Amino acid sequence: METKFTLHDRESILKFLQDTINGSVELQQHVKKYEKGTVVFTQGQRLNYLSLILKGRANLRHVRYDGSSLDLLKFEPGHFMGLLAFTTGNPSLTTCTVVEDIYALRIEQSEFEQYVNDHPDLRSPLQILMMINMSDRFLQNLRLESQMHSLNQRLKAESEELRMAYRQLESSHQKLIHQEKMATLGELVAGFAHEINNPAAALIRSAEALKENFQELPETESMALMFKSGLDAEPISSSEIRERMLEIQKRFPYVEDRSATRKLAQMPELALEVIDSNRKKISITQLIQQFEAGKLIHNIQLASARIAGLVKSLKSYSRQDKNQAEMIDIRTGIKDTILVLTNRLKFLDVNIELNEIPETCARMGELNQVWTNILVNACEILPDGGQISIKTWSDENSIFVEIADNGPGIPPEVLSRIFEPNYTTKNQGSQFGLGLGLAISNQIIRKLGGNIEASNNKVAGAKFLTSIPIVKC
Amino acid sequence: MDNQIYIVIIEDELEVMEALLGDLEFIEPNFPLEAANNAEEAVSVMEQIEADGHKVGLLLCDHVLPGKNGIDLLIELQNHPTLKHSKKVLVTGQAGLEDTVQAINKAHLDYYIAKPWTKEELQEVVTEKLTDYVIENKLNLLQYMSALNATRLAEALRENGLTDT
Repeated sequence: METKFTLHDRESILKFLQDTINGSVELQQHVKKYEKGTVVFTQGQRLNYLSLILKGRANLRHVRYDGSSLDLLKFEPGHFMGLLAFTTGNPSLTTCTVVEDIYALRIEQSEFEQYVNDHPDLRSPLQILMMINMSDRFLQNLRLESQMHSLNQRLKAESEELRMAYRQLESSHQKLIHQEKMATLGELVAGFAHEINNPAAALIRSAEALKENFQELPETESMALMFKSGLDAEPISSSEIRERMLEIQKRFPYVEDRSATRKLAQMPELALEVIDSNRKKISITQLIQQFEAGKLIHNIQLASARIAGLVKSLKSYSRQDKNQAEMIDIRTGIKDTILVLTNRLKFLDVNIELNEIPETCARMGELNQVWTNILVNACEILPDGGQISIKTWSDENSIFVEIADNGPGIPPEVLSRIFEPNYTTKNQGSQFGLGLGLAISNQIIRKLGGNIEASNNKVAGAKFLTSIPIVKC
Repeated sequence: MDNQIYIVIIEDELEVMEALLGDLEFIEPNFPLEAANNAEEAVSVMEQIEADGHKVGLLLCDHVLPGKNGIDLLIELQNHPTLKHSKKVLVTGQAGLEDTVQAINKAHLDYYIAKPWTKEELQEVVTEKLTDYVIENKLNLLQYMSALNATRLAEALRENGLTDT
């Protein structure tokens, strides 16, 4: 009798099969026992038989090309072992290992047709069972795909988080490097300033001593006057020299030497009168020499004073030894910064209006970094000249420092990002910026409870307004 | 005196200009000195020298100047019909590599003296470059024997068979 079975009914089919086997000695001979731990078939093996689990369990494992293994289905009673390999003829994709002693109906490929002819009531249930097995696998597949999809989503999200975290880390790292560099540079500058200090001091003292020494030397009043004229003489421009040389040539036609004419052109009226009155008495060369001596000493004094001033400002500017905040007049630092940046500011029109402001608690070195950053940016935006103005003032709560230029101004898209770390408009050729200058400056000011505001002037150029609260240490 | 060969110094810091003038006084009896504080003034001075019937044999130029810088000036002078023949020496503390390469390639810079200079180096370079100038421009070499490099002038005379006319 052929009974119809529904597709979902693995248990009842199994029961039917078991009953049929129990009632057939012949069939019982095809029931094989696999003990726990037995490998029923291995990955890559071609199978020409099929095993239906009547009792017991097995594990399917797939080994990947990279050596890692995947545990797939667990086989239970009603599952065929080796179904795919048997039906397709392809080598098995998996290795099947017994987990719980198995009793299985083993069906050889060569015998299968015979089987079914001998036991027609087995045909339908076997086929249905095979379908059930296949559909189980298919369902499993769907489940796995779904799991994979959600895993993928999670992976993408985590990946994105990691990327962001990495970017932040990079940025902090760069800031750290920059600060390290600044610290090292600051150390170098401070060391350098200390070193130059001594020779600079020696220069100044020697020049002064030389002056006093020479003042005793001239033997006549005329010579002394020439020397003194030289001491007081300020250098004059090339065009003025040219003009005066023409006058000298008319007034002193007997002076043929052009170098001598030039020297006379640099002398004040007092000295020229001395030369006139001594025309027949003292050689003009000697008088000129006295003047030159005075002038050269004066030049030495000017130059060494300049060196000393720069060194002083450099030391004051870096203030490496002050790691504590202290009560300071910010204007000193601003003046030092301006002096230290002389080279850059040389050909600009710099307007300074440092109104009186109260002291506040801060680190001068740090604040000098801020002014430097803003001023250097201004210099770079005015390569062919322009104006910079620096103003300070205060109200009862805050100190204000405004640095403005008359350059092209800040484009709106830059303005909104100007204090962002790693944001820079300097990326061409020799102009290279990390984009950290203003970001660090902003940080420094914010740490003090203050604020930097970048904006564009009504007329032309950009303006940076820094406000710092007035506090006691 | 006509047809004198001038040396023109271009330097904006007056003390440095004076120092250069001082170091070059040794050669002024034969090669008059002129100075300018910026590129514009320099060009007008040089054009005046030529208008007066003289020549500019050598330029000693600083790089950092108000307005146009030294190297740009030297490059532009290459387009000037007469001034391009003058010898060009850069005397500077502040020309970067890129700029200097430009000066060499585009302005055919003849020498680079780094500040601070030594008097000896300066005087030697000036003498040599003026020697180059008079030889290249086929001027009256005998006249300059005592002031410039006599050995090289003598050799040039031998090679070219030039005599005092």
